[in-house]
Amino acid sequence: MHIEIKREGGPAYFPGLARPREVDLTSLPPEQAEALRQCVQAARFFELPPVVGALPPGAPDARRFTLTVEEGGRRHTVQFIEPVEEPRLHELLEQVTKAERAQRRGARPGTPG
Amino acid sequence: MFHPTRHRHSIHCILPPYLARSIAQNGTSEQRERVLRTLSTDSTFRALRLAGSRTTPSTLVTRPRAMMVESALHRTIFDLKNSEAFPGTPVRFEGQEATDDIAVTEAYDGLGDTYNFFWEIFGRNSIDGDGMPLQAFVHYGNNYDNAFWDGRRMVFGDGDGDLFNRFTICLDVIAHELAHGVTEDEGPLWYFRQAGALNESMSDVFGSLVRQMKLNQKADAADWLIGKGLFTDNVEGVALRSMKNPGTAFDDDVLGKDPQPGHMKDYVRTWEDNGGVHINSGIPNRAFYLVASHLGGYAWERAGRIWYDAIRDSLIKPDMGFLDFARITVMSATRLFGPGEEEDAVREAWEQVGIRVARSGVRMPAFVGAVTQPSTQAGRAPRA
Repeated sequence: MHIEIKREGGPAYFPGLARPREVDLTSLPPEQAEALRQCVQAARFFELPPVVGALPPGAPDARRFTLTVEEGGRRHTVQFIEPVEEPRLHELLEQVTKAERAQRRGARPGTPG
Repeated sequence: MFHPTRHRHSIHCILPPYLARSIAQNGTSEQRERVLRTLSTDSTFRALRLAGSRTTPSTLVTRPRAMMVESALHRTIFDLKNSEAFPGTPVRFEGQEATDDIAVTEAYDGLGDTYNFFWEIFGRNSIDGDGMPLQAFVHYGNNYDNAFWDGRRMVFGDGDGDLFNRFTICLDVIAHELAHGVTEDEGPLWYFRQAGALNESMSDVFGSLVRQMKLNQKADAADWLIGKGLFTDNVEGVALRSMKNPGTAFDDDVLGKDPQPGHMKDYVRTWEDNGGVHINSGIPNRAFYLVASHLGGYAWERAGRIWYDAIRDSLIKPDMGFLDFARITVMSATRLFGPGEEEDAVREAWEQVGIRVARSGVRMPAFVGAVTQPSTQAGRAPRA
């Protein structure tokens, strides 16, 4: 499974977060990688519409996440607009951002993963 | 300081807030509770704007209608305890002692500083100009990297601790978010392309001014940074944005490089970020910085006053571009301070960021109603 996350919105525009960042499942502890796979399944990711949530009017600095998952020849991209209230989708986003953060920490010299 | 002969006081303040504050401080406790301040209500002012501005904008300043209202700072801070389920637990009401939760303290103080800024400088009674109680919700979600105004309340995340500290840490970020509420009430300005970048810029302008007032800084002493201290030590960067030198606030492996332009020649056309609202806001941000530093002194006294007057102008359109807004700021400068130093400073500042406001375009009454019509002037901002 291949996962990419792209973030927009929030307090500023960060080009580094806005371009797709890959979450390398093989670099994660096996339990975390497995939890992430299960989140994708539980969210029925490949059946989701291209956009989840609607930007409420007058909501500056709201955030958007674009998630792309590739698995077994399938590839699907979904844009999530906060707030994402559906519990399984919320959990999926939490897990992906957590994994991406852990990966980032691990890549930083002198910082324990 | 102001020129006494030309200076017209606050558009709608009869009794200046600092005077009322002195009464509040020196009066009896009963008087303190009942201190009345002079202020036109928002609705009165709006009606006046609609009635008079098309033909004779200057009547707005000379014929204020006033009524007496009390200051109404009513803060409530709620603890969401890392959930996203509102309303959480109220942990501090107006007037209560500080708790040992730093996020609660910072949110409470930040709302107060922002309220006081708008009240004391502009005589504006809260976000909606009508005493709206201020509610802030702290500890939203897990490692949540944002703070936002959702139209009726402030929400703060704790940050992930890796890139961002807690979002209550910066007074200018708190004020930035609350100022979105003011713009929404006064404009509105759509959150898209140039109008959205103006919306963002208004929030940076007032965010920075609230912090400058808190620190008692004059324009030349201010750092003009937005969000200084929000990044953790892991990030190569000093702040989210620099109004003085857009594009220089951060350059980091993870976050990338600060993408803000400071001149129209570097205007970024993009579909990202709602058409670059956090990107191209660097251009009007720098224009404001240039006005403030040219005029000197406290930036809120003249530059801030001009910008505030501009966002309240009835010529503000939800989809307006930089050039239209620039014209309104020039008109505001003339309206508030008469022709001269302020008007010239505003015009020159826009010119320095690549936006030319022609003299005839704002002086001639016939042009006032046509400000938003397409123009063929040189130096016109590209329609985003």
